[in-house]
Amino acid sequence: MTELTLLAAYGILVLITLLLQVLGSMRTLSMGYLMSARDEPREVGLMTARIKRALDNSITAMALFAPAVLLLEVQDKTDNASLLACQVFLVARIIYLPVYALGVPAIRTLAWLAGFAATAILYLLAL
Amino acid sequence: MSTELTVLALATLWQMVQFVLYALPANRELGPGYTMSARDREPARPMSDRTARLGRAFDNHTEWLLLFAIAVGVTELSGQGTPFTAACAWAYLIARVAYVPAYAFGLTPWRSLIWSVGILATLLMLLAALI
Repeated sequence: MTELTLLAAYGILVLITLLLQVLGSMRTLSMGYLMSARDEPREVGLMTARIKRALDNSITAMALFAPAVLLLEVQDKTDNASLLACQVFLVARIIYLPVYALGVPAIRTLAWLAGFAATAILYLLAL
Repeated sequence: MSTELTVLALATLWQMVQFVLYALPANRELGPGYTMSARDREPARPMSDRTARLGRAFDNHTEWLLLFAIAVGVTELSGQGTPFTAACAWAYLIARVAYVPAYAFGLTPWRSLIWSVGILATLLMLLAALI
Protein backbone atom coordinates (compact mmCIF):
# COMPACT_ATOMS: atom_id res chain seq x y z
CA MET A 1 0.00 0.00 0.00
CA THR A 2 1.33 3.38 -0.98
CA GLU A 3 0.22 6.99 -0.49
CA LEU A 4 -1.13 6.92 -4.06
CA THR A 5 -3.24 3.85 -3.27
CA LEU A 6 -4.69 5.65 -0.28
CA LEU A 7 -5.42 8.74 -2.38
CA ALA A 8 -7.26 6.61 -4.96
CA ALA A 9 -9.13 4.86 -2.13
CA TYR A 10 -10.17 8.25 -0.77
CA GLY A 11 -11.51 9.12 -4.22
CA ILE A 12 -13.63 5.97 -4.07
CA LEU A 13 -14.87 6.99 -0.60
CA VAL A 14 -15.98 10.36 -1.99
CA LEU A 15 -17.85 8.57 -4.79
CA ILE A 16 -19.53 6.27 -2.25
CA THR A 17 -20.62 9.38 -0.31
CA LEU A 18 -21.96 10.83 -3.57
CA LEU A 19 -23.88 7.60 -4.27
CA LEU A 20 -25.45 7.66 -0.78
CA GLN A 21 -26.46 11.30 -1.30
CA VAL A 22 -28.04 10.50 -4.67
CA LEU A 23 -29.89 7.48 -3.24
CA GLY A 24 -31.10 9.56 -0.29
CA SER A 25 -32.33 12.32 -2.62
CA MET A 26 -34.20 9.73 -4.68
CA ARG A 27 -36.17 8.71 -1.57
CA THR A 28 -37.52 12.20 -0.89
CA LEU A 29 -37.53 13.84 -4.34
CA SER A 30 -39.09 12.50 -7.52
CA MET A 31 -36.91 11.31 -10.39
CA GLY A 32 -38.65 13.87 -12.58
CA TYR A 33 -37.37 16.68 -10.38
CA LEU A 34 -33.90 15.19 -9.94
CA MET A 35 -33.36 14.83 -13.68
CA SER A 36 -34.77 18.31 -14.43
CA ALA A 37 -32.63 21.45 -14.36
CA ARG A 38 -33.67 21.99 -10.68
CA ASP A 39 -34.44 25.68 -11.16
CA GLU A 40 -36.32 25.72 -7.82
CA PRO A 41 -34.27 24.28 -4.93
CA ARG A 42 -36.03 21.62 -2.86
CA GLU A 43 -35.42 20.27 0.64
CA VAL A 44 -34.15 16.73 1.20
CA GLY A 45 -34.52 14.65 4.37
CA LEU A 46 -32.44 15.21 7.51
CA MET A 47 -29.97 12.37 6.93
CA THR A 48 -29.57 13.13 3.22
CA ALA A 49 -28.86 16.77 4.08
CA ARG A 50 -26.15 15.58 6.49
CA ILE A 51 -24.64 13.31 3.86
CA LYS A 52 -24.67 16.26 1.44
CA ARG A 53 -22.77 18.39 3.97
CA ALA A 54 -20.36 15.49 4.59
CA LEU A 55 -19.83 15.25 0.81
CA ASP A 56 -19.13 19.00 0.50
CA ASN A 57 -16.68 18.79 3.38
CA SER A 58 -15.00 15.69 1.87
CA ILE A 59 -14.50 17.49 -1.44
CA THR A 60 -12.94 20.48 0.32
CA ALA A 61 -10.67 18.10 2.28
CA MET A 62 -9.79 16.33 -0.99
CA ALA A 63 -8.59 19.60 -2.53
CA LEU A 64 -6.06 19.90 0.32
CA PHE A 65 -5.14 16.22 0.68
CA ALA A 66 -4.51 15.41 -2.99
CA PRO A 67 -1.86 18.11 -3.71
CA ALA A 68 0.06 17.07 -0.57
CA VAL A 69 0.18 13.43 -1.69
CA LEU A 70 1.13 14.36 -5.26
CA LEU A 71 3.85 16.75 -3.99
CA LEU A 72 5.36 13.96 -1.89
CA GLU A 73 5.20 11.46 -4.76
CA VAL A 74 6.70 13.76 -7.40
CA GLN A 75 9.57 14.67 -5.08
CA ASP A 76 10.04 11.02 -4.07
CA LYS A 77 9.79 12.10 -0.44
CA THR A 78 7.43 9.38 0.75
CA ASP A 79 8.43 7.53 3.91
CA ASN A 80 6.83 5.70 6.85
CA ALA A 81 5.61 8.98 8.36
CA SER A 82 3.83 10.08 5.19
CA LEU A 83 2.28 6.63 4.78
CA LEU A 84 1.01 6.73 8.37
CA ALA A 85 -0.39 10.24 7.90
CA CYS A 86 -2.27 9.09 4.77
CA GLN A 87 -3.63 6.07 6.64
CA VAL A 88 -4.79 8.29 9.52
CA PHE A 89 -6.43 10.64 7.03
CA LEU A 90 -8.34 7.86 5.26
CA VAL A 91 -9.48 6.15 8.49
CA ALA A 92 -10.57 9.51 9.97
CA ARG A 93 -12.60 10.34 6.84
CA ILE A 94 -14.18 6.86 6.80
CA ILE A 95 -15.31 7.39 10.41
CA TYR A 96 -16.48 10.95 9.60
CA LEU A 97 -19.17 9.83 7.15
CA PRO A 98 -21.39 7.51 9.27
CA VAL A 99 -20.78 9.63 12.36
CA TYR A 100 -22.07 12.69 10.47
CA ALA A 101 -25.01 10.80 8.95
CA LEU A 102 -26.07 9.53 12.39
CA GLY A 103 -25.52 12.93 14.00
CA VAL A 104 -22.90 11.88 16.59
CA PRO A 105 -21.53 15.28 17.63
CA ALA A 106 -18.08 15.16 19.32
CA ILE A 107 -16.66 12.19 17.40
CA ARG A 108 -17.47 13.87 14.07
CA THR A 109 -15.42 16.91 15.06
CA LEU A 110 -12.56 14.74 16.32
CA ALA A 111 -12.53 12.70 13.09
CA TRP A 112 -12.49 15.92 11.04
CA LEU A 113 -9.65 17.26 13.19
CA ALA A 114 -7.60 14.07 12.75
CA GLY A 115 -7.97 14.31 8.96
CA PHE A 116 -7.05 17.98 9.00
CA ALA A 117 -3.98 17.38 11.20
CA ALA A 118 -2.84 14.47 9.00
CA THR A 119 -3.06 16.74 5.94
CA ALA A 120 -1.05 19.47 7.68
CA ILE A 121 1.66 16.92 8.56
CA LEU A 122 1.82 15.81 4.91
CA TYR A 123 2.58 19.40 3.85
CA LEU A 124 5.28 19.70 6.51
CA LEU A 125 6.82 16.46 5.22
CA ALA A 126 6.59 17.67 1.61
CA LEU A 127 8.41 20.89 2.47
CA MET B 1 2.64 14.10 -22.66
CA SER B 2 0.29 11.17 -22.11
CA THR B 3 -3.32 11.19 -23.33
CA GLU B 4 -4.59 11.38 -19.75
CA LEU B 5 -2.48 14.48 -18.99
CA THR B 6 -3.50 16.15 -22.26
CA VAL B 7 -7.16 15.53 -21.50
CA LEU B 8 -6.70 16.90 -17.97
CA ALA B 9 -5.24 20.12 -19.41
CA LEU B 10 -8.12 20.32 -21.90
CA ALA B 11 -10.70 19.69 -19.17
CA THR B 12 -9.20 22.51 -17.10
CA LEU B 13 -9.32 24.85 -20.12
CA TRP B 14 -12.93 23.81 -20.63
CA GLN B 15 -13.65 24.75 -17.02
CA MET B 16 -12.26 28.24 -17.77
CA VAL B 17 -14.52 28.44 -20.82
CA GLN B 18 -17.42 27.42 -18.57
CA PHE B 19 -16.54 30.27 -16.24
CA VAL B 20 -16.75 32.77 -19.12
CA LEU B 21 -20.03 31.23 -20.35
CA TYR B 22 -21.47 31.85 -16.88
CA ALA B 23 -19.79 35.16 -15.97
CA LEU B 24 -20.75 37.06 -19.14
CA PRO B 25 -24.55 36.64 -18.87
CA ALA B 26 -24.39 36.93 -15.06
CA ASN B 27 -22.68 40.33 -15.36
CA ARG B 28 -25.11 41.47 -18.00
CA GLU B 29 -28.14 40.46 -15.93
CA LEU B 30 -26.98 41.52 -12.46
CA GLY B 31 -24.97 44.55 -13.55
CA PRO B 32 -21.28 45.19 -12.81
CA GLY B 33 -22.32 47.44 -9.90
CA TYR B 34 -23.55 44.33 -8.11
CA THR B 35 -21.00 41.77 -9.31
CA MET B 36 -18.04 44.05 -8.45
CA SER B 37 -19.44 44.78 -4.96
CA ALA B 38 -18.84 42.55 -1.92
CA ARG B 39 -22.24 40.90 -2.66
CA ASP B 40 -23.38 41.18 0.96
CA ARG B 41 -27.03 41.07 -0.13
CA GLU B 42 -28.89 39.11 -2.74
CA PRO B 43 -29.11 40.95 -6.08
CA ALA B 44 -32.22 43.11 -6.61
CA ARG B 45 -33.27 40.99 -9.59
CA PRO B 46 -32.35 37.30 -9.72
CA MET B 47 -30.45 36.06 -12.75
CA SER B 48 -32.31 34.13 -15.44
CA ASP B 49 -32.88 30.39 -15.14
CA ARG B 50 -30.41 29.71 -17.93
CA THR B 51 -27.61 31.73 -16.34
CA ALA B 52 -28.28 30.11 -12.95
CA ARG B 53 -28.02 26.71 -14.69
CA LEU B 54 -24.67 27.69 -16.21
CA GLY B 55 -23.56 28.68 -12.71
CA ARG B 56 -24.60 25.31 -11.26
CA ALA B 57 -22.90 23.50 -14.17
CA PHE B 58 -19.70 25.44 -13.38
CA ASP B 59 -19.91 24.64 -9.64
CA ASN B 60 -20.52 20.99 -10.41
CA HIS B 61 -17.49 20.77 -12.69
CA THR B 62 -15.32 22.44 -10.03
CA GLU B 63 -16.10 19.52 -7.72
CA TRP B 64 -15.68 16.65 -10.13
CA LEU B 65 -12.73 18.05 -12.08
CA LEU B 66 -10.84 17.79 -8.80
CA LEU B 67 -11.55 14.07 -8.54
CA PHE B 68 -10.71 13.57 -12.23
CA ALA B 69 -7.37 15.36 -11.68
CA ILE B 70 -6.66 12.95 -8.82
CA ALA B 71 -7.53 9.95 -11.00
CA VAL B 72 -5.14 11.23 -13.70
CA GLY B 73 -2.42 12.07 -11.16
CA VAL B 74 -2.60 8.63 -9.53
CA THR B 75 -2.60 6.89 -12.94
CA GLU B 76 0.41 8.90 -14.15
CA LEU B 77 2.56 8.71 -11.04
CA SER B 78 2.00 4.97 -10.61
CA GLY B 79 2.73 4.40 -14.32
CA GLN B 80 -0.56 2.60 -14.86
CA GLY B 81 -1.77 4.38 -17.98
CA THR B 82 -3.38 2.04 -20.52
CA PRO B 83 -5.57 2.52 -23.62
CA PHE B 84 -8.48 1.87 -21.23
CA THR B 85 -7.60 4.76 -18.89
CA ALA B 86 -7.00 7.00 -21.93
CA ALA B 87 -10.49 6.09 -23.22
CA CYS B 88 -11.94 6.88 -19.77
CA ALA B 89 -10.25 10.29 -19.85
CA TRP B 90 -11.76 11.11 -23.26
CA ALA B 91 -15.18 9.88 -22.12
CA TYR B 92 -14.89 12.21 -19.13
CA LEU B 93 -14.06 15.25 -21.26
CA ILE B 94 -16.75 14.56 -23.86
CA ALA B 95 -19.35 14.11 -21.10
CA ARG B 96 -18.33 17.33 -19.34
CA VAL B 97 -18.52 19.30 -22.59
CA ALA B 98 -21.95 17.84 -23.44
CA TYR B 99 -23.13 18.47 -19.86
CA VAL B 100 -23.13 22.26 -20.27
CA PRO B 101 -25.63 22.58 -23.15
CA ALA B 102 -27.69 19.72 -21.63
CA TYR B 103 -27.93 21.72 -18.40
CA ALA B 104 -28.43 25.13 -20.05
CA PHE B 105 -31.31 23.84 -22.18
CA GLY B 106 -32.74 21.69 -19.37
CA LEU B 107 -32.55 18.46 -21.38
CA THR B 108 -34.23 15.78 -19.25
CA PRO B 109 -32.99 13.11 -18.58
CA TRP B 110 -29.85 13.80 -20.65
CA ARG B 111 -28.17 16.13 -18.16
CA SER B 112 -28.31 13.41 -15.48
CA LEU B 113 -27.20 10.65 -17.84
CA ILE B 114 -24.31 12.70 -19.23
CA TRP B 115 -23.23 13.62 -15.69
CA SER B 116 -23.25 9.90 -14.79
CA VAL B 117 -20.90 9.14 -17.70
CA GLY B 118 -18.35 11.64 -16.34
CA ILE B 119 -18.58 10.20 -12.81
CA LEU B 120 -18.41 6.60 -14.09
CA ALA B 121 -15.33 7.35 -16.23
CA THR B 122 -13.59 8.81 -13.16
CA LEU B 123 -14.61 5.84 -11.02
CA LEU B 124 -13.27 3.36 -13.58
CA MET B 125 -9.92 5.21 -13.76
CA LEU B 126 -9.59 5.10 -9.96
CA LEU B 127 -10.52 1.41 -9.86
CA ALA B 128 -8.05 0.64 -12.68
CA ALA B 129 -5.31 2.29 -10.59
CA LEU B 130 -6.25 0.27 -7.49
CA ILE B 131 -6.59 -3.16 -9.12
